[in-house]
Amino acid sequence: MAVVGRRFSRLSLPAKLFAVGLPVLLVAGILTVAVLILALPLVVSAAEDNLPLVRFLVAVVAVLLLTVPTAFLVIYLELKLIARMNLRIGPDRVGPFGAAQSVIHGLKVLTKEDFTPSGADRLVFTWAPVVVFMATVMTLLVIPFAPGLFGTDFNIGLLYVFAIGGLTIVGLLMAGWASFNKYSLLGGLRSAAQAISYEIPLSLSVVGVVILAGTLSLNQLVLNQAGSFLDWYVWQQPLGVLIFFIAAVAEANRTPFDLTEADSEIVAGFATEYSGMRFGFFFFAEYVNVFVVSALLVTLFFGGWTAPFDWPFPIEAPLDPGSLGITLLFLLAVVPVVATLLFALPFWLGRSSTPFWQALIIGFVIFNIVAVAAVLGWAFVSFDWVVGLLWFMAKSYVFVFVLVWMRATLPRVRVDQLMGFAWKWLLPAALLNLFVTASAVVILAELQ
Amino acid sequence: MSSIPGLGIVKGMGLTLRRFFQPKATIRYPEVRQDVPHRFRGRLQLLHDEYGTLKCETCFQCAQACPIECIDMGGHDTRGRYAVHWGPAETYGERREESALRRSGRTVPDPAYARFAPVDLAALESILEAHDYDPGAMLQILEATQTAYGYLPVAALKRISFATGAWYAMIYGTASYYSHLRFEPPAAAASPAGPATGAPEGGRPDAGYLAALDAALAGSGPGRVH
Repeated sequence: MAVVGRRFSRLSLPAKLFAVGLPVLLVAGILTVAVLILALPLVVSAAEDNLPLVRFLVAVVAVLLLTVPTAFLVIYLELKLIARMNLRIGPDRVGPFGAAQSVIHGLKVLTKEDFTPSGADRLVFTWAPVVVFMATVMTLLVIPFAPGLFGTDFNIGLLYVFAIGGLTIVGLLMAGWASFNKYSLLGGLRSAAQAISYEIPLSLSVVGVVILAGTLSLNQLVLNQAGSFLDWYVWQQPLGVLIFFIAAVAEANRTPFDLTEADSEIVAGFATEYSGMRFGFFFFAEYVNVFVVSALLVTLFFGGWTAPFDWPFPIEAPLDPGSLGITLLFLLAVVPVVATLLFALPFWLGRSSTPFWQALIIGFVIFNIVAVAAVLGWAFVSFDWVVGLLWFMAKSYVFVFVLVWMRATLPRVRVDQLMGFAWKWLLPAALLNLFVTASAVVILAELQ
Repeated sequence: MSSIPGLGIVKGMGLTLRRFFQPKATIRYPEVRQDVPHRFRGRLQLLHDEYGTLKCETCFQCAQACPIECIDMGGHDTRGRYAVHWGPAETYGERREESALRRSGRTVPDPAYARFAPVDLAALESILEAHDYDPGAMLQILEATQTAYGYLPVAALKRISFATGAWYAMIYGTASYYSHLRFEPPAAAASPAGPATGAPEGGRPDAGYLAALDAALAGSGPGRVH
């Protein structure tokens, strides 16, 4: 042992780390594999017994993970599109075309001081952003992103969306109340008044669709609209779409109804006393809400993930990699190496000044790009949920664009105009829409 | 106009959408630098040499080159004898007070300015008449003026500039180029002092300047100044 100790003490630091780390890694790896082999059947069988629970956990994690890139993308789009409409370029310093700007904004908010006012109700103050954020995120659980790609096919999905979406008001009131600040309280009450007022026309405007479809399940609503774009409910419910859109804009606190935390005014409504990431979560929720509103609009009125015309994809092509059997493993092992070398070769031969390792790096990057493109193309051609997801996202981001476009154009309404519009115009219009739709359904049923 | 509700919104949205596709006004500054206008000359300031002496020799070239005539030159000529001015008439020293009053409401005294002595311009008028007020015949006008007055008074030069339309700075430059034209009365009439009583004016620089020059040049070469 003494000899080993002496030898070890003579090693340099990297060598010591290597000498210690390699055995540890080996042992840990073997142990992990052994545990997996022993425990995996148990875990799999347990998961099979509790499939709804597994589905729920996976859906919640997926939806939570989805919100982060969604919010970043919406914020980036907002920065960039409004800039273009102002004849500016917008962020172009961080990342390609400034794409990482919103990530940097998020990091900035994270590094700021998380301050709680001395008189605040700490518990409620802390939980208010969580409630607002979770209320937004939980609505995503029932939205069908693609055939088979949804958290759960709730038979009262639409009701769930409005019920959970209404929880946002609770969060806003919590924030206003717990801040120990009269301006926050007034801002919270103002937000709650706005949200509740617009909740009514919002809910009434979709009743027409519910009457037509005879279901509250969002998945079934999308399936009812399958076919061409002429089957979308927007043609049968034009007034309903308009009311839903306006009310949803108000629900999402977007321009021209963004009185709750009007950016350009001094006191930020219910968020006055918030700082750091708690403040960030309100805006996180707002930007996710923009996507949720667009997604709901697409799901209810614009056919969800269905293609708007006769779309050849996915084709039932014989492209099943599982049919290759053991050859697949062989290809997976060989193709990356061969392809990297093949892509690297022209760069190495073409310019004598390019060293081989540089050519290898270039070849590896090109191989990765080609491989990712090939896998994505294969998925696009073979799986209906990939195609559906693409259609759904494309349609949703069209409406995200419209929301941003409105923000670049419209001035903010006054608070009395806001309330008067909801109660004097939107609510009667929604009732009219409901009455006409119901009458038409009854009359058509009588005629046949 | 706004008889249809929502028409204003549609028009506004159309405007922003058109803006969306228009070329952008942003200049990516560190990478792209905007071309300055061709008449841009940077900041106006007088430069000093390394001994703190003003480099400006009152040559009026900057004032002549100024495309928008914003430079008002006021100074002394190279021998330190005459206050000379160049610029639009309202910025001349004799009219400075009222123009400054008009611009800022405060008087701006100009201690460097010395009012030139007025002279009888009757002889000059006949000379100008004879040369048809032609700025091309400037040398002949100046020679005739010197013959009439014995030298070239500043008041006469101003009158020539006004009558012929030539810039005062160009007349001054023409006059100072020829050694037979002078800006002062002949030496015999002006001063009886001989050359033995002191250094000629402008002949030798003052001692402090020479000492500074020596200190700066010490060890820099084999040559010695003065």
